[in-house]
Amino acid sequence: MKILIDRFNGVDKFVQAYDLSIDEVKGKTLLALLQHIKRTQDISLNFTSACRMAICGACGVRVNGHSYLACDTKMDDLLKEYDNPESLKISPLANFKVLSDLVVDWEPSIENLRKIKPTITPKEAFSDKKGCVQTQAEVDAIKKQWDCILCGCCASECNKLEADSSDYMEPFVFTHAFRAAYDSRSKDALKHLKPSIANGLWMCVHCQECADRCPKGISAADDIAMLRVMAMKKGLKDGTGPAHAEAFLKDLEDTGRLNEIYLALRSEGVLANTTKIDIAYNLMKAGKMNPLHIFGDEEIEGHEDLVKMIEAARAANKE
Amino acid sequence: MNEEKFNRRDFIKSATIGVGAVAASTSPVSIMASELKKSGKNTSLPSVDVLVIGSGGAGLRAAVAVRKNHPNLNVVVVNKGMPSRNATCMAEGGINGVIDFENGDSNKLHAYDTVKGSDFLGDQDAIIKFAQKATEAIHELDYAGMPFNRQQDKTVARRFAGGAKYERCNYAADKTGSIMMHTCLDEAITNGVNFLLDHYLLDIAIDNNECEGVVLLNMQTGDVVPVLAKSVVLATGGYTRVFYNRTSTPFNASGDGIAAALRAGLAFKDPEMLQFHPTGVRNGGALITEAARGLGGKLINNKGERFMSKYSNRLELAPRDIVSRSIESEIRLGNGFGEGMGSYVLLDVTHLGEEQIMNELPQIRHIGLLFEGIDLVKEPIKIRPTAHYSMGGIEIAKFDDMSTHLAGLFAAGETSCASIHGANRLGGNSLADAAVTGKLAGEGAGEYANKRQNYGSGKHAEELAQKWRIKLKDITSGNSKPNELYDLREEFGQYNWDNMGIYRTGEKLEKHIKILDEIWAKYNNLKISNPNMFYNTALIEYLEFGNLILLARCACLGALNRKESRGAHTREDYPTRDDENFLKHSLVTLKDDKLSLSYKDVVITEFKPEERKY
Repeated sequence: MKILIDRFNGVDKFVQAYDLSIDEVKGKTLLALLQHIKRTQDISLNFTSACRMAICGACGVRVNGHSYLACDTKMDDLLKEYDNPESLKISPLANFKVLSDLVVDWEPSIENLRKIKPTITPKEAFSDKKGCVQTQAEVDAIKKQWDCILCGCCASECNKLEADSSDYMEPFVFTHAFRAAYDSRSKDALKHLKPSIANGLWMCVHCQECADRCPKGISAADDIAMLRVMAMKKGLKDGTGPAHAEAFLKDLEDTGRLNEIYLALRSEGVLANTTKIDIAYNLMKAGKMNPLHIFGDEEIEGHEDLVKMIEAARAANKE
Repeated sequence: MNEEKFNRRDFIKSATIGVGAVAASTSPVSIMASELKKSGKNTSLPSVDVLVIGSGGAGLRAAVAVRKNHPNLNVVVVNKGMPSRNATCMAEGGINGVIDFENGDSNKLHAYDTVKGSDFLGDQDAIIKFAQKATEAIHELDYAGMPFNRQQDKTVARRFAGGAKYERCNYAADKTGSIMMHTCLDEAITNGVNFLLDHYLLDIAIDNNECEGVVLLNMQTGDVVPVLAKSVVLATGGYTRVFYNRTSTPFNASGDGIAAALRAGLAFKDPEMLQFHPTGVRNGGALITEAARGLGGKLINNKGERFMSKYSNRLELAPRDIVSRSIESEIRLGNGFGEGMGSYVLLDVTHLGEEQIMNELPQIRHIGLLFEGIDLVKEPIKIRPTAHYSMGGIEIAKFDDMSTHLAGLFAAGETSCASIHGANRLGGNSLADAAVTGKLAGEGAGEYANKRQNYGSGKHAEELAQKWRIKLKDITSGNSKPNELYDLREEFGQYNWDNMGIYRTGEKLEKHIKILDEIWAKYNNLKISNPNMFYNTALIEYLEFGNLILLARCACLGALNRKESRGAHTREDYPTRDDENFLKHSLVTLKDDKLSLSYKDVVITEFKPEERKY
């Protein structure tokens, strides 16, 4: 079979094909396969790896456009997943600057981590002489996020980053912000929340790709949602994002139906929406927006129960 | 992604063009302008107050310690990739340090267990201080945000580790190392430590008996960059990759710091002390945690016998070195499966049942599937001992600040040898070592940099850099076949395993010294058939291999002359410990490519040497 690899030698980008017998492929991990190619066919092929047991995060790459941790991926499984293909395409992680072949630049990511101050500020009761106290349940609340190994798989799949990375950080950065903000030993969640908001917290497009591709089963999307909840609870409600979220909730309480007209008006205000009349027109033409809804919607069936649930959630939250 | 985009790194590059003559003579030095400021009068080389080489637990702790004590100093952590790709993150079990003094445990008992575990080769003054500092380190890590598992009383959870009399191994699930390292990384990032990624340590430069800095290879461009520093901390990890094909350490832990220190004239202490872990997967040696045996895993030979009964009353739960030797004995007796480096015995946990395996050993089941395609629930896994930890390292002059015998140079973690572990490290003491010695080295290096008025002249660094530029050009200009480098490395690993592995004899070691000389000669004739200096990973692998050969030669010399069995060092021709002649450390030094060996007494204060019984 053919293994096609996206190459970059510092000057040119090209795709190189490596012919391998099926015996050379079977039984190996993806990382072992890359090593095999480097050792037997092409010493100039560059990729990074370290621990080979899925804990250091060095070998994230893409296969046929999806991110994988190379050491934790068996070729047999890949062949099955892609229906015994004639060829597989291996590329560097997307949404990173490529340094060489499959090697990407991590420096901007470290600078993004720096923005959200990933370390907790412990409460006054604690000290570095005596440590802290915490219950196991409180540890469990942030345990999953600590499995993040900074492999970049989530960032590679992120649709928001792909569309525009100028106002948004890698999903794992939010996971780090969340685990610091939500730690019961921490006295100052705002330290992590504020820079999260300033760097795109409300820009996540909810595509769930980050959660889907994380080799450790972490959902950065959930962490982003949790950070948003924390931010709103702390009164950080400026901007269209929080207004958008509140408009959603109001619709649910009012009728249980999402009112596209009110959603836009409540999120961004009347003035901002005057520039979007063309979008509204297109939506109406496509049947996605009913202009009569400006007078309100009918309640959905079982709306009473929905309101009860919202109230119960509010009450539980207060406790 | 758009390659043309003017990104942050490009900005930094353009901002650093003014750094100086050397920068202008090569292509732009991609070093952070704010950190590597001009050093002033003598030279225009990039410079930084404290340079930390290596970013595992020890390096990160050192960097943070500098910033905390001296916020005015700038600190740059140099790494040959991204900072979180290191051996610290692979540690599973836990970190030792007494935090519960109510039940009879004490720092002194921790020290005693460590001394006994070291087979009395540990320096007791250092170990006693280490045990105290280990307690402090646990609280500090907790305060820094490390999410330890907790007990009912909300304090840090602890469990037993091998060779310990009390529960003092504090843990965070079975990922203690990963979680500790990420805690340290986060702390470093938050505390304004800067990182120089994709830079490889070539050499240490000395001016007037003082460390003036280092020579780095910028992997992204291929430029050789001399960097001046007021003080340097080496924290580049251990050298068990000398057993290239059978070790639990990551590919990139190649002892670069120790090799550079040797070339700079420093001594390599106890190089022969290399620890083996009994259970690595046959295919490469990735670790199967001790928990598999703790829960009742059985070791089985090709006759279907549970063979450990021949070697120890404690069966599979005997100490690491005993179990490792037993497995190797079985393989040598012809009771193993397979041939050569692929030989193995079986570890059977199937009797535990699917539920327990899935609940308590999910990670090793995953490893079984990944490396061997074997489901532990259904069949036993193929295992063999694997090289695990190096007790030897750069000789430390003073434990209190982890200074070496070269002024301005400090070492920490597995790279260093303050002789905390002697001839055998106890489980849980490696993370404690990284945390304790890392912090001490950072304090020492910070203090030194703070007092030092000027940078070195940079003359020696520039000379060294020039030599490396010529050498690297030569290495990458040849046309050796791609596999030659890798075949030689495999061969090297196998010879080390066969002749310098778990069982050693004078005869084999004598032969091995010659073999290593031959490998060294072959290595020096090798070329890399890739002249593209742009992130040339083959070149890095070549350089790492060179360091490993040098370190293996030292280990072999030490092993040949240590005519006794002590801890991890087992000589079949000298099966007992010989305190009369060898209660001392080996010190290997390098001059003009020749190694020489000397000895130094072990420091004994409180604990008289006794027979090691468990």
